[in-house]
Amino acid sequence: MATAIRMRSLADPPVAGAAAAEAAVQPANLRNVEEVMTPPLAIKRHDVGGAPPVAPAVAQPAMGARLLGRLRTQLGSLALSVLSIGLLLGFWYLGTEYRWDFYIRFTNVPTPGEVYTEFMGLIGSAKFQANIGISLGRIMLGFCIATGLGVLLGLLCGRYALLKGLLFPALEVLRPIPAIAWVPISIMLWPTTETSIVFITFIGAFFPILLNTLHGVAAVDPVLIRAARCLGAGEVALMTRVILPGALPHIFTGLAVGMGVAWVSLIAAEMISGQFGVGYFTWEAYSLIEYPHIVIGMLVIGVLGLLCSGGIRLLSRLVMPWQRVGTKENA
Amino acid sequence: MMTSEAKAAKGHIDLRDIRVSFTQNGAALDAVRGVTLDVKPGEFVSVVGPSGCGKSTLLNIVAGFLKPSAGEARVDGLPISGPGADRGVVFQQYSLFPWLKVRENVEFGLKMQGMGRAERESRARTLLGLAGLLSFENHYPDQLSGGMKQRVGIVRALATGPQVLLMDEPFGALDAQTRVVMQEILTNMWQQLRLSVLFITHDIEESIFLSDKVYVMTARPGRIKAEIPIPLPRPRTAEMTSSPTFMALHRQLKALIREESLAAMGGELKEGGLGQDWHLGEQGVGAL
Repeated sequence: MATAIRMRSLADPPVAGAAAAEAAVQPANLRNVEEVMTPPLAIKRHDVGGAPPVAPAVAQPAMGARLLGRLRTQLGSLALSVLSIGLLLGFWYLGTEYRWDFYIRFTNVPTPGEVYTEFMGLIGSAKFQANIGISLGRIMLGFCIATGLGVLLGLLCGRYALLKGLLFPALEVLRPIPAIAWVPISIMLWPTTETSIVFITFIGAFFPILLNTLHGVAAVDPVLIRAARCLGAGEVALMTRVILPGALPHIFTGLAVGMGVAWVSLIAAEMISGQFGVGYFTWEAYSLIEYPHIVIGMLVIGVLGLLCSGGIRLLSRLVMPWQRVGTKENA
Repeated sequence: MMTSEAKAAKGHIDLRDIRVSFTQNGAALDAVRGVTLDVKPGEFVSVVGPSGCGKSTLLNIVAGFLKPSAGEARVDGLPISGPGADRGVVFQQYSLFPWLKVRENVEFGLKMQGMGRAERESRARTLLGLAGLLSFENHYPDQLSGGMKQRVGIVRALATGPQVLLMDEPFGALDAQTRVVMQEILTNMWQQLRLSVLFITHDIEESIFLSDKVYVMTARPGRIKAEIPIPLPRPRTAEMTSSPTFMALHRQLKALIREESLAAMGGELKEGGLGQDWHLGEQGVGAL
């Protein structure tokens, strides 16, 4: 009790009259303060039970609410998408229906209705379907060769500076040449039109894939390579089990870009030198004054391109499941 | 008597008169000079020193990442020629393969040895069980906390049954609480496995708690300043950290390292009086 009172006297501002008396008591006060500062520990333990380490289940209670929230945001973005496309169609409709002519001329552009009717007629035609199939086949072939070669060379050049030194100056000279500029020489080089078109598609996809793979190899954390070597990994295992998976995120960026460029290159090649294919179909429609077919060709190209990019995104998710897990806790 | 025992057991690290030099702006500099260090089979040895003193360089030599400019580096009498599965390494940065699940990470070394799937799996699961991580075997590393990641890292390094475990500030990235728990886990695991450990750290308490012997290094160029046996009994417990022996060792090591830290930070501190003024002590350096 006495301790508590002296404490108080220390804490309170000294009253003027009591100042002298206060000073006299000071040493004793200090000693008592020290006593108070180190009281017997009275730790009160709360029973929280044992907590064995258990893998955290995916947050279940919030599941319903989260799903609802996601649905809401998705509905919102869906509404915006519909509006966006609706505006585009509306602009097209107005322009063509009223034959707008203000520098840009809509006079010969087919209306959405005309395009729709023509499309309904075309969709069952074997020739039209064959055109689509042929374009897809060319893309697949050119793109797959580009992927195989681009990834392989990218991995090797990324790992072996000598090989990179040997190959890259030559590749750097060729790289800025757009795939379309390869059309004439490609027709001369390859025995058939078909192979030359596939070659041009390949050229378009190859460089983005190669460069991104190279980037990916450089981005692999060196400590992972050290760790693998300590665990007894040889050169081949290092390549296939560490460097390749480590570079995959960049490789998929390369594939997505490559796919886009492959379509650009393919359509250009088909328009210039082709027989068959969607690009050829579109250009032929212009020559034959079948204007609705031009728009149909364009839309088909757009949709196919979209499907191919979507396919690559899907593939990247399947191949890199670890990319989807976030850091859930931190030590 | 000791020598015959040492010959029978494996995992003897022997560094003799090691020098590592590099060139900077055309001038040759020594990172490490005249280092002789010895880890007997089954011994837990720490190397402490101020940052940049070349402690990690020594570990990299034993791991086979780096060739010394001079001197001899041997494990069990054989010169070190490169990295290998006979020496497990635990890195400061979590070096788990992010694309492999926890168990696949642990199995990596066994796979490299050509072990069959079933055997690999059961071995990895046993080890993960010992480390209390079995329920996380199908998680990806990014789903784990830092302490867990590092436990997986240790388990992975041990999976191939190395005679030597090299640890480069393995708990440096962890918070203080997790670090203490990890030290206890490590000392327990070591107690069971009894393999040779070369442990690099700048944490004095950690080095005393874990080791049989602590080497103190000087500021660059790194040399061995002192070799301090730790006479604390085994198994080590958290309570020992407040024993008089522990405290005395702590003071001794701290004084040794303090000199070197000051040297590493440059002479101007000494001229300012800090080098002599021991009473300023911890607060003086902390305030900097």
